[in-house]
Amino acid sequence: MQRSALENFQTCAVRPDDFDAFWDDVLAQAEAIPLNARAELVPLRSTPEVEVYEVHYDSLDGVRIAGWYCLPATRSEPLPAIVQVPGYIGEPPLPKEWAQAGYAAFSVAPRGKLRSNAQFNPGYPGLLTHNIIDRNTYGYRGFYIDAVRAFDFVCGRDEVDAERIGVTGSSQGGGLTLALAALRPALRAAAAGAPYLCGFMDAIELTHTYPYHEINDYLRRYPQSAAAVRQTLEYFDTIHFASRIACPIIINLGLQDNICPPETGYALFAQLTAPDKKLYAYDQSGHDAGGAEHRAVVRDFFAQQLKS
Amino acid sequence: MATSFRPTAVRPDDFDAYWAQVIAELDALPLAPEVEELPLRETDFSRTYAVRYTGIGPYRLFGYLSLPKGDGPFPTLVYLSRYQSVVEVIPQGDASEKRQRFAIFSGASRGQRNADLPYAGSFPGMFTDGIEDPQNYIFRGFAADCCRALDYVLTRPEVDRSRIIGLGENEMPLLVAALRGGFTQVSAMPSFFYAAMDRAPQTEVYPLQEINDHLRLYPEDRELMARTLSYFDPLFFASKVDVKTLLWGDPETLDPLAAAVAGEVEQRPSTGSRYTDGLYKEQWLSRQLGFTDVILPAHWQ
Repeated sequence: MQRSALENFQTCAVRPDDFDAFWDDVLAQAEAIPLNARAELVPLRSTPEVEVYEVHYDSLDGVRIAGWYCLPATRSEPLPAIVQVPGYIGEPPLPKEWAQAGYAAFSVAPRGKLRSNAQFNPGYPGLLTHNIIDRNTYGYRGFYIDAVRAFDFVCGRDEVDAERIGVTGSSQGGGLTLALAALRPALRAAAAGAPYLCGFMDAIELTHTYPYHEINDYLRRYPQSAAAVRQTLEYFDTIHFASRIACPIIINLGLQDNICPPETGYALFAQLTAPDKKLYAYDQSGHDAGGAEHRAVVRDFFAQQLKS
Repeated sequence: MATSFRPTAVRPDDFDAYWAQVIAELDALPLAPEVEELPLRETDFSRTYAVRYTGIGPYRLFGYLSLPKGDGPFPTLVYLSRYQSVVEVIPQGDASEKRQRFAIFSGASRGQRNADLPYAGSFPGMFTDGIEDPQNYIFRGFAADCCRALDYVLTRPEVDRSRIIGLGENEMPLLVAALRGGFTQVSAMPSFFYAAMDRAPQTEVYPLQEINDHLRLYPEDRELMARTLSYFDPLFFASKVDVKTLLWGDPETLDPLAAAVAGEVEQRPSTGSRYTDGLYKEQWLSRQLGFTDVILPAHWQ
C-alpha cells in the first residue's frame, strides 16, 4: 500500500457520546479502592547496579495486580520514572535497562498475565473477546485500569518525582500507553509503539492474523452479537482516547506490520490533539516498528522529556 | 569456515544414557489423547481442536491442533514450546489462511498455560528451576514434552509424514529431531542452551540472564549448572540431526553447531526486522514443503 493511502486511511470507529462519562465513572470506581501496594526486594534478580522489587497492588474488582519495580542502586532522588506496559502474549519484562539509565521503572502485569491471574484468567486466545458484548464487564475495562494504577503506584513512591513520569510500550503496550496517557493527564511523556487496541473494527478487516483475529472468530460464531461487539469496542478503542492526551507523545509504526495494521496507527495519529506529537514510520519493518533503531529514539525522547 | 567462537561445554559421559532414560520413560507411558473440538476457532477452511495427552512424570500436557477441512494428508507444521506462558493456535501474525493448507500443531510443555497444573512456570525463573541436578531440572521434562508433541502429531492420519517441519525459537526442534526423528526439516534459533555458560556472561537478556542471576547468589553452583546445561546443549545432539536445518542467529557464533549438524544446514542471521525475517521464514517453509506460492499476511503481500 502506498504511504499516502496509509496516511489518508479513514477509520470506521465512532466515538460514543458518553465515552468520557463512561471512563470518568470507571475511574471513580477505581478511586474508591485503596491501592494497598506492597513492594518486596527480590535479591535473586537484583544486581549491584539495580534493585529489583516484586510489587502487588489492588485494582478494579478487587483484583490483585503484580509488577516488577527496578531502581538504580546508586541514585539521587527524586528520580524520573518510566511505566512500562506489556504486549499481548509476552511476559512483562524486568525493566532493568531503564533503571540502569537512571529511572525508577515499573513493569506491570495487568490482570490475566502471570502473577496477576489468580482471580481473572481468560487465557490467550481469549482475553480480547472476554465479555466483549458488555462494556461494563469487558476484560479490558479492568486491564486498562490496572495500567492506570501502575502510574498511581509509581506516583506515590517517595523516591520518584511525580512530575517526571513517562509511559511506554509496544503493541498492546502501545495501546495501553495511549489509554494511560489519556486517563492520567499528570503523565509527562508517552511513547507508543505499533499500537494495538486501536481501530479494532478496521483491523479485523485489514488483517486476518491473531490476536485481532479473535474478534473474527467470535463474530463467526456469534454473528448476532456484531452490534454489541462493535458498541463495546468503541469504548476501548484507543483512537477515541487520543483527544484526551495532552503530554508530548511519539508513535512508531512498521509499514509492513502484519499484527497491528499501520493504517490504524495513522488514524490514531490523526486524532491526537497534543501539540507536541511525532510519528516515526519505518519501511521494511513489521511489528517491531523500527526495532533497535527506534528504541534509541525512545531513550532520547525520555531523556529529553524527563531528565532535562 | 574459520570461527573465533569455541564453545567450552563438555559432553557428559552419561549423555546418551540420560536421554535414553527419558525416551524409555516416554515410551512406557500411553499418550492417552483427549481431543475436543473448539468451534470458536473454526474457520471456513479449518477446524481447531484442544488436545490433552500425557508426558513423563506422568504429566498432562496440552496442544492446539488445526486441520484443514477436506482430504489429507496435509503438510504439517509443529510449533514447539517457546519460553513464555502463552501457547497460540498459530503464531501471532501468521496469516490465518495458512490453516487451509497446513496441519498445524502447537504444543504446550509443562509450566505453560493449559499445561500448568500442578506446575506453573514463572518467566523468568523456569530456566534455572532445578538446574543444580540434571535429573530434577525442569527442562528434562520440558524437552520430553516437546518430543511428546511430535509423538501426538504422528498419530494423526491427516498428517503427511513426508512433510513435517519442526519449528521453534530455541533449540527444541534440534533436540526433538535428534531424540525422536519424524521431522523432515527443522527451523531453530539456538539461543538458550547452545554454549549457554559461554554466552550468559555476555548478555543481560533473559532467559540467559537467569544464569547470571543464579550465579550472583550461588557462585558455588557454577560447575553444577554447567554440567546440567551440557545435557541440553544442541552441539551434542547435532550429529543425530540428519534433516534439512535452518539455523537462525549470528553465523559466527553458530558455526561450530552448524558444522556438527548431520543434515544440510542453512544459516540465517536476523535482519532485526520482523517483516524481512518473517517473509524469509514463510518463503522457506513453502519451498521446503513443495509449494511455489507463499501464504502471507495482508501487509506482506
